[in-house]
Amino acid sequence: MGWLRAGLLASLIVFSAQARGADGAGEFARAQVLAVFPGAERVGPITGTPPAATVYAKGKRAGYVFSSLAVIGSTGYSGKPLDVLIGLDLSGRITGAKLIAHQEPILVIGIATRDLEAFVARFRGIDARGRIEVGGRSKPGQVGIDGVSGATVSSLVIADTIVRSARKVARAKGVFGSGGGSRLDIDKFKPLDWPGLIALGGIVRRRITNAEVDRELERSGADPPGGRAANASFIELYAGLATPAMVGRNLLGQRAYNRLLADRRAGEQFIFIGASGLYSFKGTAYRTKGIFDRIQIVQGTRTLRLTAGQHVRLDELAIDGDPALREMAYFKLPSTMGFDPVKPWRLELLVTRPRGDATLAVARFALAYRPPPTLVIGSPPTARATRPLWKQIWIRRTADIAVLVVALIALTAIVFFQDQIEQRPRLYRGIRFAFLGFTVVWLGWWAGAQLSVVHVLSFTQALLTGFHWELFLLEPLIFILWSYVAVTMLFWGRGVFCGWLCPFGALQELSNHIARALKVPQLTLPWGLHERLWPIKYILFLGILAVSLGSISLAVYGAEVEPFKTAIVLHFLRAWPYVLYVGLLLLAGLFVERVFCRYLCPLGGALALPARLRMFEWLKRRPECGQPCQTCAIICTVQAIHPEGQINPNECIHCLHCQIVYYNDQMCPPLIECRKRNARQLARGANDITGKPSPGGAL
Amino acid sequence: MNRRIPPVAMERRRVIAVIGATALGAIAGISLSGRARAKMPISRWHGLALGAKAEIAIVHEDAAAARRILKRCIDEVRRLERIFSLFDPVSELVRLNARGRLAAPSHDLVALLSSAQRFGALTGGAFDVTVQPLWRLMALHFRGGGTKALAGPDRRRIETAARLVDYRGIELGRARVAFAREGMAVTLNGIAQGYITDRVADLLREEGLGSVLISLGEFRAAGTHPSGRPWAVGLARPGDRRTLFHRVQLSNEAIATSAGAGLKFDPSGRHHHILDPATGVSAMRHASVSVIARQATDADALSTALSVAPWAQAPRLLAAVGARRAIALGFDGRVREAHA
Repeated sequence: MGWLRAGLLASLIVFSAQARGADGAGEFARAQVLAVFPGAERVGPITGTPPAATVYAKGKRAGYVFSSLAVIGSTGYSGKPLDVLIGLDLSGRITGAKLIAHQEPILVIGIATRDLEAFVARFRGIDARGRIEVGGRSKPGQVGIDGVSGATVSSLVIADTIVRSARKVARAKGVFGSGGGSRLDIDKFKPLDWPGLIALGGIVRRRITNAEVDRELERSGADPPGGRAANASFIELYAGLATPAMVGRNLLGQRAYNRLLADRRAGEQFIFIGASGLYSFKGTAYRTKGIFDRIQIVQGTRTLRLTAGQHVRLDELAIDGDPALREMAYFKLPSTMGFDPVKPWRLELLVTRPRGDATLAVARFALAYRPPPTLVIGSPPTARATRPLWKQIWIRRTADIAVLVVALIALTAIVFFQDQIEQRPRLYRGIRFAFLGFTVVWLGWWAGAQLSVVHVLSFTQALLTGFHWELFLLEPLIFILWSYVAVTMLFWGRGVFCGWLCPFGALQELSNHIARALKVPQLTLPWGLHERLWPIKYILFLGILAVSLGSISLAVYGAEVEPFKTAIVLHFLRAWPYVLYVGLLLLAGLFVERVFCRYLCPLGGALALPARLRMFEWLKRRPECGQPCQTCAIICTVQAIHPEGQINPNECIHCLHCQIVYYNDQMCPPLIECRKRNARQLARGANDITGKPSPGGAL
Repeated sequence: MNRRIPPVAMERRRVIAVIGATALGAIAGISLSGRARAKMPISRWHGLALGAKAEIAIVHEDAAAARRILKRCIDEVRRLERIFSLFDPVSELVRLNARGRLAAPSHDLVALLSSAQRFGALTGGAFDVTVQPLWRLMALHFRGGGTKALAGPDRRRIETAARLVDYRGIELGRARVAFAREGMAVTLNGIAQGYITDRVADLLREEGLGSVLISLGEFRAAGTHPSGRPWAVGLARPGDRRTLFHRVQLSNEAIATSAGAGLKFDPSGRHHHILDPATGVSAMRHASVSVIARQATDADALSTALSVAPWAQAPRLLAAVGARRAIALGFDGRVREAHA
């Protein structure tokens, strides 16, 4: 067997395999195949659709090896091609998986590629049919796999890639067989009463009235019968697969069920049938002719007749709450009958009545049974499992999404009712600290929803190389936040995000406040220097953006100037240089409030660029602002107020501090002046009591 | 009856179509010839059902659900073929014909034979499933071809075979079916396709496809199902599928057409597959007969019966099974209609 030259250029080989898979020219390198399919002795060329190479061991076909990129055209969270080499044996198990190529931006730094490789390797031995829950626990019908912390979405995308590729190949090659590889869960047990068993779907029922039977028989040419209550039960029929403990043990009781299982032959199944009413489903033919002539079981292309030899009469049930059934039995279906316990079937009932000419009129009724999903292991992927990954993620995070939406509604209310809030400084302070605390602890540390300049880069990339909503929908909180930021930027500028929703910004502000409470002296930079430090963040942003056009991974290194990942997403659990950097930033922040926001934040720079486009100007000023009054300029969290008095919209973070002053006649000098004047007038006994100035008006 | 004679397979120009549409699918509109007018996915199966070309089409907004339903339908067709086929050596019908009796017949065979006997009684024997010995005689006679064959089988042999034809000779029970006389045999050709399509239609309705059209016949033309209105089906002249002599509206109904020309034993068409059990020779009353009924089994059986029975009986027969209407095309081109 000619092996292609060794595997340094594995991903290149994969590309060529994809391109030439149809005519079977490609091959996988031996070392690669052995990595994902231990024990492989020989590997065929990559052929077929989807393209896969057959692996032989001990002289026989043993499974397949394929590239996820070739099979499903997999892309990573980065939106760039993701390639995993996967081995699959003939029983539908993944024999191994190996990360061949990826460009996951989150992983480039902070999380080593080997963490991701280790994650991929965890798929060895996993049944491709089952549900795989990244970060979930293993339980029947589900395998839990630890994700890579800090790279949850990438983990999910990769897991999805591996499972989907394996299933596609398995289906195409018939590995899963006709039954989709699912089997009955015989052992699962929970005590249930009769109504519980009915509710589970373990037993199905159908009541047939005299009227229904008569109607069918008349349609078949029988004479109308006389004198039967039309609505009375002709028969009330019950049926279900009794093989699983959930049904059989509950029906028969533990001892009888255990005896039944002890005598069970390989592949044998048991069907319970019971009935009350006028009509006997058993009839008498089974005693004389050996055949149950009133019932038959239909499944797929099979029509199964039940014989006396299969019949075991039941006189009573061990279950609570059962109706008094007149006739009961279970029937043994040997494996030779070809009955498949995980597929639906129906019990058919035959009723006959002689016509006038002595021929038989016939009526037929069916009772449909479908195995309850809880009793089937490895159900073929249901609608839930085949949902697009992003939908699965949104469903998983419904609670988080709800919390975020509530928070955003609250924030919108704060902005809308800012005038009312600003007039109540204590209320404002409560709201402000509560919201910032929420932003740091829940939004940042708990939910990891820290917007980053990396998002701006991938958005730009997407616009340039082909936009897919799916890519952005993979992170619901980030998606919702960005949508909100887009709208608020248009309305009020970037401040609503920077001042309220940025976890690191909130962390800086809160730590600075603690420092102030501890009397840490605050440093005020001379305006000239301060103003000249502003451009740094713009330069950083533009630089990173420019680099990203050439190489996104290099740009992601550049984005490390953001301390977000270290301080928020990874909870400081990172290599010491990163932690040191964040520590220095936070330390500096104790002396200069929001020092990172002011001068360094490339994300802030990106958001500030279009700040002048905003539609509303709701921050109020007075003519005295800046000339001569500087109170607001001093109190501003980011020193965004020029000495001349105007607020610089590019720098403003909408913290509303200046507005508190604006309304406060103990803080705002023009108001203080006015208050004093009023007091003097009052002292003089004048009846002019215009206590409050008209907002914004001259005093 | 000589059991060594191999079954005679002759192609019958019969086409079975079952079309089911969900409420949405029905609005989208679909034509019998296959093109949906809206962008509603159609899942389709083409195959054979008891030797006839069969088609099942499902108009469903969920393509995956449609595929699953289609699979169920095909399984059901295959299951019933295993019971009714004359060509499957282990089918219940072949075993019954071969041995003259059958223990533990399926409910489906019991039900269909019950219907067959009923139609036999209703038509006074004009419809008779035990016509198989005659049919076999014809088929074997003409298989050889040649000029000698043209006159038809020997009179005496026809009479011998005809003596075996009597639907009352089927002793039908739930646990056993048997023939009263040796040599009797049953063909379900005139009725089993109807039964199968009924089962498929039941399945479609059970799966929530509220609008179902069934068409069985030698001649049918493209019908369309415009939004909200009943299906329209055109009836074509034998031998000329493009000339429609009649149009009918169907709503959740079946239409079945029988025409002698659908399967001719000889080129002249004097000997064809619709045999008159009374005379033992092919019926020559109409060029084709179509029947519209709720159940395809009824439509199928009556279209055969009315090819043989006097037309005057049509209203009574239609009424007996609750069928709506029958349309006959005469050899002279005249169209006759009968209503229940």
